[in-house]
Amino acid sequence: MRNRPIIVLAVMALVMTALALDPGQTEFEHNGWFRYTNQSHSFKVTDPNVNRFTLERGYFRLSHQWSSMFSTKFTLDFHSSDKYAEGATVRLKEAYADLALPFLKDFKFTAGLQKHYFGLIYSWDYTHPDKSLADDRGVCASADYGLTVNGFLPAGFGEVQLGVYNGEGYKYAGKYVNASPEWLGNLRLTPFPGVMVGFSAFTNASDMSLYKNDKKGRITDGTNLLFMNADTANTGRFALAPVARVAFGPFSLTGEYIAYDYTRKFSYYTINRDSTGQVTDSTLVTKTKDYRQSGIDLMPQVTLASRKLEVYGRFSTWERKEQSGDSLPVNQSASFTRYGAGFNYHFIRRANGKPGLEFQLAWIREQSQKAGTDPKDTFMAQMRFEWNAVVQGL
Amino acid sequence: MKQFISLMTAVTLGASLYAGEVMVKGSDTLLNLVQRLAEEFSTVQPDVTVSVAGGGSGVGINALINGECAIANASRAIKSKEISSARANGVNPTQIVIAIDALSVIVNSNNPITKLTIAQLGAIYRGEITNWNQVGGPNKRIVLYGRQPSSGTFVFFREEVVKGEYATSMRQMNGNAQIIEGVKADEGGIGYVGLGYIKDADGFKPLALAKNEGDEYVAPTDEAQVKGGRYPLTRPLFQYTNGKPKGTVRSFIEFELSPAGQQIVKNEGFLPVTSDYAEQNSAVLQ
Repeated sequence: MRNRPIIVLAVMALVMTALALDPGQTEFEHNGWFRYTNQSHSFKVTDPNVNRFTLERGYFRLSHQWSSMFSTKFTLDFHSSDKYAEGATVRLKEAYADLALPFLKDFKFTAGLQKHYFGLIYSWDYTHPDKSLADDRGVCASADYGLTVNGFLPAGFGEVQLGVYNGEGYKYAGKYVNASPEWLGNLRLTPFPGVMVGFSAFTNASDMSLYKNDKKGRITDGTNLLFMNADTANTGRFALAPVARVAFGPFSLTGEYIAYDYTRKFSYYTINRDSTGQVTDSTLVTKTKDYRQSGIDLMPQVTLASRKLEVYGRFSTWERKEQSGDSLPVNQSASFTRYGAGFNYHFIRRANGKPGLEFQLAWIREQSQKAGTDPKDTFMAQMRFEWNAVVQGL
Repeated sequence: MKQFISLMTAVTLGASLYAGEVMVKGSDTLLNLVQRLAEEFSTVQPDVTVSVAGGGSGVGINALINGECAIANASRAIKSKEISSARANGVNPTQIVIAIDALSVIVNSNNPITKLTIAQLGAIYRGEITNWNQVGGPNKRIVLYGRQPSSGTFVFFREEVVKGEYATSMRQMNGNAQIIEGVKADEGGIGYVGLGYIKDADGFKPLALAKNEGDEYVAPTDEAQVKGGRYPLTRPLFQYTNGKPKGTVRSFIEFELSPAGQQIVKNEGFLPVTSDYAEQNSAVLQ
């Protein structure tokens, strides 16, 4: 036969390939990250200070499309944790409802525990197994309780989100959430194919999340041991993050700059002692301390072998300045430079292009700004799987 | 440097940018049509292999965004979210219309109803009109037949006709042939199928449709009216490429739009590209 054979791949259009649900459909999704971590100083991998296997994440997601306008999503994260005697814990990561806005095409209103649309944190897809910089440095959590209006600009020109959140993150929902909301705005534009530029900002008058127990609530001031009151908070929180991404063929470069300022308000009791050392009384003292933090995060990446292999590098910096008297010196112990590299091998990709089964290997070196500190080397080897199934008519 | 980048792009994207292979992926509505076009194209350019895969419009578009195919078949327009994702990945989705699909609304041969307006049809499929006597027919309960939610046809009919949610009583069928079988066996039945399926209708008949009360009713069998854009239930069938098509991809698309290609479109039960879409295509292929 002279004719070349035409290869017809009649892929069954089963519901397993759902990219967006149709009314009446329910999607189950499960992610598992099985990770080995080795952390040492100056590549002394045989003498590590961290050497462990963990289930780093174990997301179980349930999404239901009630109608073409209304859907809900619920995500639990089962993972290893040494905070509990059983060695594992579960946390609520997402629980929200989406309502399409009939008067604004491609926009929706979202209520509940949802993504925190700041910088790269909300779109971080863990191509690098470690966290985004904002997540890692505690600028904000990746999810929080709130209300948002979010959507896509016409002709794929970008996306925009405006929202109000609790401001304490997904781990806090009760007494450690104060009455002061966080206001957030995010804009990303793709003016040209392959170029994305964006900007996020949030502001929050105060949060309460850091002082939930006595151990974190103690500081020393001279010879006195000070116990923080529960109303100690980070006040005047303001963060901004310009982001950008350039992609051409198999190459991409993603980056962000983060600036995060706040004032920590301390309210504590000093213990007063007499000349013999006996405790006489206590005095309530209020003190404030300014913090100014900033950093950059850059990640170049190349995708090879029909998207089976991703190779990436990463470079990050973080600088933390803390008020001391009238000045803001750098806290060198809390400031660092990080760099590293890694690769991902995809054994299976799902029909929607997302990872199905992949192996990840990453190395990160962190060099503290504090003089005389040995660099910290972290190796992460991870098997990550994700699957989903869509069922009609539940 | 440019040659290196081109080579890396070709090797790593796997999107058949080198001469010899074109990967097409996406809509199941377009699967058979593009397969036929590919077969015929291979006789014209035997050194080029066109691989065609289904999976749905969304799968095809996603494959284009990820560089896994050179052409995405789609029975719906690309969404803003998909365009945004594509552009962030350096992909510029460029739209070409290769055929027009017309949906026929069919009823059982024994049903005396011969025409409906789009508004009446929408009310029927939303479950607001439940008996044929409400639209001038016999006293018989209306039984709805339609496609399953994963079908682009389901989405198109919902957006253009139902303009809301389908009645929960609608029977969801996996394909056009099954809808026909259901309507043929059910005197109260009504369904929607592709134009190619009403040829040699036996046991069922297509209805003439009017966009609004007072407009002319047009039968889907009236080719001149349908080609003239006066039939209210037509939709373009798309292909998307990354930027303006070049090389073998362009050659294949030009074949699809040629008189020979458009004859195949007609043979497969679709309509050839109308003049307004032909003009848009010309601008892309310039």
